[in-house]
Amino acid sequence: MLETYFSYFKRQPLASIPVFLTLLPIFLIWRSKAYHERTFLILLIYLVFKFVLDFTMFEWASNQRNTVLFYNLSVPVRYVLTSCMYYYKLEYKQQKTWLIISMPVFVGFSVWDIVQTNPSLLDLHNHSMVLYSTTVESLLMLFWILLYFYNTIRALRIPNLLNYPFFWICSGLLLYYSSLLFIAPVLHYASKWEEWMDIGILYNVPYVFESVSIILFSIGISQYSDSSYAK
Amino acid sequence: MQNNDELKLVLLIASIAMLMMAFFVIMFVMYYQKKKFEEEKKINDIEKNYNRLLLDTALNSEETERRRIAQDLHDDIGTMLSLTKLSLNQLSKLIVTSGDDKEDAIMKKSQSLVEETILHVRRITRDLVPTTLERFGLMEAIEEFIHKLEEDNNLVISFQSSTEEFPRQGQKLELTLYRIMQELVNNAIKHANCNKIDISLEIDEEIIGLRVTDNGVGFDPDKIKESNLAGLGLLGIESRLAIVNGTVQYEQPTQGGSSAIARIPVNPASGNKPEPLHPFRRERVNI
Ligand SMILES: Nc1ncnc2c1ncn2[C@@H]1O[C@H](COP(=O)(O)OP(=O)(O)O)[C@@H](O)[C@H]1O
Ligand SMILES: [Mg+2]
Repeated sequence: MLETYFSYFKRQPLASIPVFLTLLPIFLIWRSKAYHERTFLILLIYLVFKFVLDFTMFEWASNQRNTVLFYNLSVPVRYVLTSCMYYYKLEYKQQKTWLIISMPVFVGFSVWDIVQTNPSLLDLHNHSMVLYSTTVESLLMLFWILLYFYNTIRALRIPNLLNYPFFWICSGLLLYYSSLLFIAPVLHYASKWEEWMDIGILYNVPYVFESVSIILFSIGISQYSDSSYAK
Repeated sequence: MQNNDELKLVLLIASIAMLMMAFFVIMFVMYYQKKKFEEEKKINDIEKNYNRLLLDTALNSEETERRRIAQDLHDDIGTMLSLTKLSLNQLSKLIVTSGDDKEDAIMKKSQSLVEETILHVRRITRDLVPTTLERFGLMEAIEEFIHKLEEDNNLVISFQSSTEEFPRQGQKLELTLYRIMQELVNNAIKHANCNKIDISLEIDEEIIGLRVTDNGVGFDPDKIKESNLAGLGLLGIESRLAIVNGTVQYEQPTQGGSSAIARIPVNPASGNKPEPLHPFRRERVNI
């Protein structure tokens, strides 16, 4: 079994790196006990979820099976978890309310999207990627992140942004979603199992983006100390 | 094939978007830190001003209090002493006519005691409120101060000024300079163990400099400030100067002794004084 992993790793090194890189922030959160803070707890759940999912996809992919179903299912979960962090970080009641409302609406939308793009749900082999959900998710998340940045600069309450863990997490998410926003519309067409398009090394670019954001998460978590939240 | 090119284009756009976001984040951080810094500075300034105001109020009320005490001494005790002196004079006439030597001696003693007390009270009131300063200005006041000191002590105090006619300054500024001079000279007498003190007063367009030099044992102001030896005197000098944007600097001249220079920006007296400083002006309080 390990051999199949290795051969996949060798064939797709850049695609495999983020899967294992996810373990780094998980480890850091665990070690610094950052999970006592709610946002980090959610981040931890998200990262563990992502790792399990990625790993399953990795495992299926190394066995030459179509993993798109997992991806499709992960989109609403990812949105709920990441936006949940902002629920705790946004300060104004009104903004919180809108964020809460956006969650079920988006989940409903993405389920609709999955059903829409895959008329025969049980045909896993020909499962294709959701058409709109990722774009909408990116837009929503970019909006919440920028809103948070805007609030931050209005309040000026953080003494030094570079020591502030959540700022790094925001930056990671911002970079990730800003690239995903443009890639998402094409993914639907690019990753059909049967007609796999050959774009060579460029196919790995999204994985590089993902790795960058995970590294930014890790930097943020390593800035965490109990005192920085003991306000 | 066309699809492939499109895909490449999309990836390119995505990369650019990400780089732009990265740039945005960097700019955001820089802007944030700058704004934060400015705000901190603003808060600092407000705090500083507030502290200065507090200090100013404290010193003002100190001066007011001195004035009140001086006034009470002058009006109440001074008047009573004058009346006592009058009565004693009348009594002494009676005694002289009766011609008892012993009674006469006691009478004389009492009279001189009362007279001495009157002098003391007058001296104390004048020390409390520098009337000469308010009426004739800094040079006069310093000269008077020196004169009195030289009488009681075995000291040579010299005073020179860069100008013949020292222009009158704002009331607060003159008082500040006078009190600082007082403290520095008193320190020299108390601690320096010296026999010569030089006071010099300089003025140019912007700065008034007051220098007090003695030839005594000398001291290291930094050490004194560290080892909480600094009494109220040196600290008082600094807080008085803080209010008028002045600075003080201590030096140890090579020939021994110590030297202190206080520098204050000039602030000429405005024509209409807000509060004429008559020493014994008083709002009568009816009980
Ligand atoms: N001219 C001086 N020569 C030597 N020592 C001095 C002189 N002025 C001040 N000092 C030292 O600095 C100390 C602090 O002075 P000061 O703040 O005026 O307090 P105080 O006069 O009440 O003792 C003094 O105790 C003395 O040791
Ligand atoms: Mg003193």
